[in-house]
Amino acid sequence: MYGWTGNILRINLTNRTHKKETFDEQFALKWVGGRGFALKILWDELKPGIDPLGPENKLIISVGPIAGIPAPNTGKTVVAAKSPLTGGYGDGNLGTRVTEQMRKAGYDIIIIEGQSDKPIYLYIEDDKIEYLPADEIWGKGTYDTHAYLYKKYGKGAGVLSIGQGGENLNLYAMIRSLEGRAGGRPGIGAVMGSKKLKAIVIKGSKPIPVADPDGMRKLGLDDLRKVGEIDKQTGWSIQGTTGVLAWCNEVAALPVRNMRKTHHPDAWKIDGERLNNARVATYGCPNCTMRCGITILDHEGHESELDYENIGMLGSNLEIFELDQVASLNYLCDDFGLDTISAGAVLAFYADAIDHGAIKGDFRFGDAEKAKELLRKAALREGEVGNLLADGTMRMAQRIGQGSEAYAMHVKGLEISAYNCKFIPGMALAFGTSPIGAHHKESWVITYELKQSQRDSYGPEKAAKVIELQRIRGGLFEFIVACRFPWIELGWDINHYTTYFNKVTGLNWTLDDFWKVADRIYALMKFFWVREFPDWNRTKDYPPMIWFDPANADTEGPIAGKVLELDKYEKLLDFYYEQRGWDRRGIPTKKTAEALDLKEEAAEVEKFTKLE
Amino acid sequence: MKVTVKLIGPFINTLGFSEKQIELPAEATVEMVLSSLPLDPARPKIVTRNGQAVALNEKLKDGDRVVISPIYSGG
Ligand code: SF4
Repeated sequence: MYGWTGNILRINLTNRTHKKETFDEQFALKWVGGRGFALKILWDELKPGIDPLGPENKLIISVGPIAGIPAPNTGKTVVAAKSPLTGGYGDGNLGTRVTEQMRKAGYDIIIIEGQSDKPIYLYIEDDKIEYLPADEIWGKGTYDTHAYLYKKYGKGAGVLSIGQGGENLNLYAMIRSLEGRAGGRPGIGAVMGSKKLKAIVIKGSKPIPVADPDGMRKLGLDDLRKVGEIDKQTGWSIQGTTGVLAWCNEVAALPVRNMRKTHHPDAWKIDGERLNNARVATYGCPNCTMRCGITILDHEGHESELDYENIGMLGSNLEIFELDQVASLNYLCDDFGLDTISAGAVLAFYADAIDHGAIKGDFRFGDAEKAKELLRKAALREGEVGNLLADGTMRMAQRIGQGSEAYAMHVKGLEISAYNCKFIPGMALAFGTSPIGAHHKESWVITYELKQSQRDSYGPEKAAKVIELQRIRGGLFEFIVACRFPWIELGWDINHYTTYFNKVTGLNWTLDDFWKVADRIYALMKFFWVREFPDWNRTKDYPPMIWFDPANADTEGPIAGKVLELDKYEKLLDFYYEQRGWDRRGIPTKKTAEALDLKEEAAEVEKFTKLE
Repeated sequence: MKVTVKLIGPFINTLGFSEKQIELPAEATVEMVLSSLPLDPARPKIVTRNGQAVALNEKLKDGDRVVISPIYSGG
């Protein structure tokens, strides 16, 4: 078997034991890697209803067949667990040296089970596994933690760590690696914290099994160079993702004031142009020649690496338009190991609830200094307010009540990322059906909705586009594990990835083979949710109700007077379910499950609910 | 008539401005704006007028805001 090491490293932190297991070709071909591996293992090994922050949850770190191979943007790794934020399947990917080091150490999957009684970190070097006391780094931010570990193990080591957010079980704590890189939005850092695992350091020395090593190496290096050249010609990385802010502001899609507004006259102050002008450094993931990590100095003088989500959620959504202050909030999130998207949404919701008299407090939109104080409280779970904010928007709204659920901007418990879909039906559907809760990484249809379709269409073509993009973004890129940015941003043909995959594995797959795996993974992710929530119904795929509220319509600008319409959204959801072969509750039918080789999984889910 | 042209992302660096007003003859179309700018015609882009998607042959009005952006796939 080429392309996969075929090895799983299973580590139990309760009794500090580990063993090497193997997986066979059938498993590899069915689930491919990354998200596919993580999902299938969590499905098979977790009992439904377990406490995500208890010893029974498992933290999975997994890579895909092209991960770590010198080729465009292959430096990503998937981290996954049952999410403490949503209660469903949760994962994320991040750029890290772990990708290559883990493969060189001989593993495609690491499963971390149990719970340590004391704070520790893991050192993995090929077959050697050490459980080391984390006394010197527990309680520290991710920057100090990484510096400590790099000093000890060298800059080339793969390091994943949590900050104080994960240690204190903040429900949107992430896992950090390198400058500005983080993954696992649905609280995967809290799962790591619950295991008292501060960090994982990994080094490897073995070759990665590649079917055509010379051919792949030549092609990969050549393509890395080509991608770098296209980036230079097009200038994409001058602003990277942050170019999106000015555009969203123009087309009324920007999150402003807890997404109550869609544009703001001061948005330019924090846009990609200003950011590029303030740049002091650029960082990126391994194996990337179009590095997008624009780094500026924050209000306190720290280096802070920003992308669009950061400036959207910690800037415009909080009506903070001082770039250095937005950078400070971003730095704090990175250091505490908090998800910037959820943190921005949580603070905005808190300010909004205060504004609407649903809760008493002294935080107002635009108050950067207070926002910093609240972030610290949320990360450390300090006092009543810290504990409230640390639990995420969904639980905050349940506690606050007073109708605040309508403007708690999340889907399935995961906060909505920086696209205000007050009047963007297809993107609202993309958030609604995103399989880990509202995340833009699964499907992003806004440009399609404005360019090739009608913005106000709720037609089957939009459902089809959402599915097409989910297959590519939430499917292919998450299971072969690579960054998607070369594909649209630089127009790097999707067929390149089939070539890499085939060169690495020696197989002869086509894109259709990939789409089948993607659909299988999407179906099983839904089964995972249904098994956890057996009374599953389609309302779980709804975006927040405020997007349907005519009283919330913009009073001026491109979408003045317009909001989403619920009856039409229902129809759009029906189109989506029909095209996916799911029933009206949004659950894959038996026939669909069988066509995707999920017969056993369907039988398991039938213990909880009847499938159609 | 006067129309404001706003560029997004790297187009700012390509053309050397971020936003400016341009003078156009009455009845000018979006296409005329595009062809007056040295942007690679083969490069995929999305053009909006006052925040709405626009057809290239659409006629512009005095005071319109035309935004030209490369295609993104999200942040
Ligand atoms: S484009 Fe950005 S996110 Fe993607 S691999 Fe490069 S640095 Fe990482």
